[in-house]
Amino acid sequence: MNSVGTECLELKRGYDLCFNRWFAEKFLKGERSADPCSELFKQYQECVKKAIKEKEIPIEGLEFMGSKREKPHGNAGSS
Amino acid sequence: HPWETVIKAAMRKYPNPMNPNVVGVDVLERNLDTEGRLHSQRLLSTEWGLPSIVMAILGTSRSTTYIKEHSVVDPVERTMELSSSNITLSNLVSVDERLIYRPHPENPETTILTQEAIITVKGVILSSYLEGLMANTISANAGKGCKEMEWMLDKINVENEELAVSVQESIKSEMATAAAKDLWFAYYCATL
Repeated sequence: MNSVGTECLELKRGYDLCFNRWFAEKFLKGERSADPCSELFKQYQECVKKAIKEKEIPIEGLEFMGSKREKPHGNAGSS
Repeated sequence: HPWETVIKAAMRKYPNPMNPNVVGVDVLERNLDTEGRLHSQRLLSTEWGLPSIVMAILGTSRSTTYIKEHSVVDPVERTMELSSSNITLSNLVSVDERLIYRPHPENPETTILTQEAIITVKGVILSSYLEGLMANTISANAGKGCKEMEWMLDKINVENEELAVSVQESIKSEMATAAAKDLWFAYYCATL
């Protein structure tokens, strides 16, 4: 599975790996742990946004992560 | 299959019968809401493989269609809801899809998927061609969605079980806009 920007593929893979692990092992099990993937996501997202702009894909209201992102409720869960 | 198993597979798979050729998936935004539900905004890149004459008629020079998908996963209620619509070619056709995964009410160890698509085709000249194309694609892929899920579940080492698929089609005509027609497909995959 590729990314909209082929140059983003490595970043995407790194993020996906991190996310899928957190999703399966923490989130679905009801553990309210903090998302460990935010740094990876930031880099990946920057790349994607650039690709979207270059390809002139009409996406409205694309906000940068961080400004609108809400912190997960509860404390960091146990590992 | 249990809901958690299905959701893990679904997150890594793109059940969208209108887009058999998903070539790219990107996460645009992801966050938890105040109720602990995970929201994701994703961009799907698809290739239709449209013949060049169709592309010329459609007036598009790019063969990639982009879809915006919003998903919400509620780990407490055990629901996953996805809704998607195309953001390119939208002046000609709108494909809005909605999928919900939840534990089967009578058998909570299994998961039921409800899926519906509303297709609005604009423009009288193209409508019958596009309708035919889409109707064929949806019919061909209606059961495929469940089969793809089965493949994905096998991939993560789950027992192979039979899927029951029932497909229901109905067509509504839009009286208000004479040039538009709504095609509504609802299909249910119950995983056993």
